[in-house]
Amino acid sequence: MTDQATGTGDRARPWHRAAIVLGLGLIAAPAIFQMFSRAPQGGEMIDEFRPYMTVSELSQFDGYMDGIEAAVDELETAPADDAPASVQTLVDQWPTIDDDMGGMLDVMSANLDNFAAVDALPPFPLFPWFFVAPGVLLIAFGAYGLLRRRPNPALAVIVLGWGLILAPVAFQMFERAPKGGDMLEELGPYMTADEVGAIQGYFVTLGAAEGALRNQVLPAADSPRPATESFVETWPQMANDMAPMVGVMADNLDNFAAVDALPPFPLFPWFFVAPGVLAIVFGVLALRRAAEKESA
Amino acid sequence: MTSAPIRRLLAVAAALLLVAAACGDDDDTGSAADGDAPAGATELSGLLRLDAGSCDDAGAATGSTFRMVQSGGTIADGPFVPNGDSPCADQTYTPLAAGSDGGLLLGQHQPTPDPAFDDAGNAIAGQVTEPTTWFAVGFATATNEVDPQTGVEVAAPVLTVDENGTVTGDLRAFAASWNGQHFNQGAPKPDGSSDGNTSAPTGTYDVDTGALVIEWTSQISGGAFDGFTGVWRLEGTLETS
Repeated sequence: MTDQATGTGDRARPWHRAAIVLGLGLIAAPAIFQMFSRAPQGGEMIDEFRPYMTVSELSQFDGYMDGIEAAVDELETAPADDAPASVQTLVDQWPTIDDDMGGMLDVMSANLDNFAAVDALPPFPLFPWFFVAPGVLLIAFGAYGLLRRRPNPALAVIVLGWGLILAPVAFQMFERAPKGGDMLEELGPYMTADEVGAIQGYFVTLGAAEGALRNQVLPAADSPRPATESFVETWPQMANDMAPMVGVMADNLDNFAAVDALPPFPLFPWFFVAPGVLAIVFGVLALRRAAEKESA
Repeated sequence: MTSAPIRRLLAVAAALLLVAAACGDDDDTGSAADGDAPAGATELSGLLRLDAGSCDDAGAATGSTFRMVQSGGTIADGPFVPNGDSPCADQTYTPLAAGSDGGLLLGQHQPTPDPAFDDAGNAIAGQVTEPTTWFAVGFATATNEVDPQTGVEVAAPVLTVDENGTVTGDLRAFAASWNGQHFNQGAPKPDGSSDGNTSAPTGTYDVDTGALVIEWTSQISGGAFDGFTGVWRLEGTLETS
């Protein structure tokens, strides 16, 4: 088949081929970065952490920590006679527990805005398709351009390029994606098996001490222990709130690792802009070559 | 028209599908004790009427009990989670009492009620064992057709005994509930695995007296107690149906 028959010119074809290659690259990118599995894991993690990433919820946990600290202070000021070992374990471990769990709550509080920014991005499971869909279109336009001269698909490639550039702007990805990166970096030290194991251990320490305080220390106390009584009264609700959060942390270790293994979040908007710019360049060059061919 | 190579390819694919179908498990409930008991063993049926757990002078408990090994621990050496609500001197033991059905039914499920928890998060299932307090919150057991933690369909409890009175079985449907959460405590686990500290039920059965004791361990997978292991002992008398 000749150029005359297809209506195409050899000099225009390289840019159509380049569009096809760019499309293939866009399709391959999510597969290379395992986004089809990792992005949904990120979505799952966001969904499961969402109930805890609120000012009211984290304030509640801060209040629990204050309540435990008050009870520990009371036990240090007026040690209980014949206190079970579990009570002394709490007193001894409290500085570590407070530092670790309190630190984690502080980091979570400091990342509320970052979490909200990530949560406002399009649903994570859609992310790989944001690459695949324009990739397929680029291949289609490029293939059409190789086979047919009219209408010239170069204009569609340019429009698609602008779409790729504008998408991260529309989704505020330049602002939100770096915040996601910050959040992953700051929460990373807490989302490890060792750290979750430590927090599980703190929970056991607290639960064991609470039982001993409720069943042994308080009944035998000869003077009021208001902070200890308050801790004991609050404990069922505290356990009711804390245990599921520890569970969410444990259940999301793999999801966190998957998201953390994605390319750095701040780069994400550029993954759209760069191919968008290339698509526009290819389209413009294809148009110019076609115009040159027409005038020749 | 289909070419010869394609016809050959289709024939091979069909043969592979037939082989795969023949090798597959046709029971979605996937019990290791599917069908007949192992050769030389007899499947037990009826109710394991539980003897309530009690604490001995040494502080440990006898009868039906529950313990929990902390994550990273071992069945032999712990460390075990102390339950401040246990009446035992060694509070790592929590005695269990028979529930409203009298104990564990073999070959039948004893499901978690709906709702499974009261407003305070106390678990209220009470057919197998009586709800007991653990870490200040009600703790209950059940056997469900669909495991509430994993969502996997599971067969009812099965125990078999050999000619020496040695009991084995499949308790993958056994589950604990506490504080608004469900924890599969079966052995094997609902998918048939026995990872970590999970070990299949073993025990003894005296055909003359009906005395039946089973013990098993089940490592929790997921949730607040991920990696912890429940250590279960059910002791009582088999009332055959």
